[in-house]
Amino acid sequence: MFWHIFVYRLKELLRDPWHIAWNLLFPIALATAFFLGFGNMIKEDPEAFVSIKTGYIAMEDKEFEKVLQSLSRKGENQVLSLQRYETEKEAEKALRAEKIQGYYLQKGGEIVVVVGKNGISATTLHQIVKEYKNQKTVMLQIAKEHPEKVAEIAERMNHRPEFLQQHVFNQYTSPYMNYFYSLIAMAALYGSWLSSTMLAGISANMTERGKRYESAPVKKMTSLLAGILSTMLLQTVFIGILVLYIEFVLKISFGVPLWQVLIVTSVGGVMGIMMGVFIGALVKRPNLQMVISLSVSMVASFLSGLMWGQIRQILEVNAPVVNRLNPAAMLTSCLYNLCNYGMTKDFYRDLYSMLVLIVAMLVISAAVLRRRNYDSL
Amino acid sequence: METVIVAMDQLVKRYREKLAVDHFSMKVMEGEILGLLGPNGSGKTTTINCILSLLKYDKGDITIFGKPMGPEAYDIKERIGVVPQNVAVLQTLTVAENIDFFCGLYIKDKKLRKQYVEEAIRMTGLDEYRKYYPKKLSGGLLRRLNIACGIAHKPKLIIFDEPTVAVDPQSRNAILEGIREMNKRGATIIYTSHYMEEVEELCSRIIIMDRGRNVAEGSPEQLKASLKNRETIKITLPACTPEIVEDLKEINHVYDVKQEGETLLIRCDGGSHNLVHVMGYFSEKNIPFGRVITELPTLNDVFLEITGKELRD
Repeated sequence: MFWHIFVYRLKELLRDPWHIAWNLLFPIALATAFFLGFGNMIKEDPEAFVSIKTGYIAMEDKEFEKVLQSLSRKGENQVLSLQRYETEKEAEKALRAEKIQGYYLQKGGEIVVVVGKNGISATTLHQIVKEYKNQKTVMLQIAKEHPEKVAEIAERMNHRPEFLQQHVFNQYTSPYMNYFYSLIAMAALYGSWLSSTMLAGISANMTERGKRYESAPVKKMTSLLAGILSTMLLQTVFIGILVLYIEFVLKISFGVPLWQVLIVTSVGGVMGIMMGVFIGALVKRPNLQMVISLSVSMVASFLSGLMWGQIRQILEVNAPVVNRLNPAAMLTSCLYNLCNYGMTKDFYRDLYSMLVLIVAMLVISAAVLRRRNYDSL
Repeated sequence: METVIVAMDQLVKRYREKLAVDHFSMKVMEGEILGLLGPNGSGKTTTINCILSLLKYDKGDITIFGKPMGPEAYDIKERIGVVPQNVAVLQTLTVAENIDFFCGLYIKDKKLRKQYVEEAIRMTGLDEYRKYYPKKLSGGLLRRLNIACGIAHKPKLIIFDEPTVAVDPQSRNAILEGIREMNKRGATIIYTSHYMEEVEELCSRIIIMDRGRNVAEGSPEQLKASLKNRETIKITLPACTPEIVEDLKEINHVYDVKQEGETLLIRCDGGSHNLVHVMGYFSEKNIPFGRVITELPTLNDVFLEITGKELRD
């Protein structure tokens, strides 16, 4: 029964011209428009990441110095161009003269970053300290709880170029990429109208077709699951096509292995589908469901920076709760963190936020949809 | 002994303050075609939705095939076919795929399903349209597809909710023929419609619902027999006088004589030779008359007499 519904739902979606137009062609057209608008600015962005000119003042924490030196090693993954200063005054002078973008020093045992202006470089310099502190804390804890394993872990850490692997800063690390992340988020949330329409089609209180469905000897959860999974599959493929189009046709690199981007966008796709189910479970009128799904997708995408790239950052400073609740902002931020800084804490925060949102919407929807007969039709 | 397929006992359904079904009871016997008639808003569709357990109801019991019906009664549901009032098919699937899809919700065996789908296509005369998408079909063909989707799995009980709305006479005829055929093959049918003549032609028993209640029940003949007016004789009479009217009222079984313009309406409450008696009177008195029409009561008359003539929503 599951496969029967699953296969027919796939057929139904693949033959729906609206679905193909809105969920595949429209995002591709928008990506092309973005590319024509500022594709070159991404490729030739003056802020594009090459390596950050960084200073440091001799510090007691020699391990941190070693980390800085390893990050400034020449090669494809060079993150920093390092310059040593003897005094803070010298470093400050170089910063003002814009010879460096920031410098590290140790004050009262703490490693401090001083940057000239905010931006990707500044965030990266802060991120390096954050990562270092994390690893140091882990090592200290292991030393305390399992001293016998310290040598082994240290050896593993030294031989694992994890930090660089996780922080692949490529030449396309540009603020303009945010538009593409938001576009992917919009495409992901567009899945919501598909799932809300699917839900209407199997619910007797919404459509005549739903009456036929619910009169049949099929468990609602079976038809719901088959409907959700088939929609999810197609939506994941469509978003995947969009990602591949951006990477290979427009030749705008995400800068990280594509499978990582595809996993994140798939989670985003699932979130969009679940949003539609959630809306469908709470709103009874099919037309209204579609209007709400599309409106929420558009507003959420706008707030994530689809039309004005800075809006997400402005909200992050002034009303962070909006970004925490906005599914498009979660996905945009997740992609931004992944592509710019790798799998950092913030990346996982966004990823987990999406997963929590998916589960929450699933649980609420399942509770509402469990009812098999209605007060009115 | 006749087997009861559907038994509904004292069903009550309210929509907030509005009483939609008011202690409604009915039985549907195996092999019959039961017509459920009623004006708009009389509670027919609500009753059907309660039978299908799509709607919650406030009071009463419904058993189908001898078992209590409920939303999870899958063993009962697999023996029921539903043809909803509005066309409920998938626009992006072809005729054959639509039938296969809905049949597949009941029949798991692919081979058997294929056979059933073919039979349904043949029965509804959709063979040459099997690869058409619904939007390419005419209203009548769409209705036939709607029916095929509801009956392909060969249900024992089929519920038709106004299946012939807005179809041409040819399609209607084909649909009614199909329903008779299904009934001959052993399906029990519940049929709702506003078209009295097709209910009269098709149904072996009729229940008339009004304001949620069962207001009349019986075969078409029994219902017609329950009317006081059993025959209406219409005579064109240019020179009618009050004496003629009074004389006609004296004829056996004539209970009402009314003049409407040049036409005289003579209503009789029984008897089998009313026309002969009336004609005899005119010959005897040598009164010239024009056209003579005699009308026997129809189900429409029964319906209007029982439910009244005022307009409904």
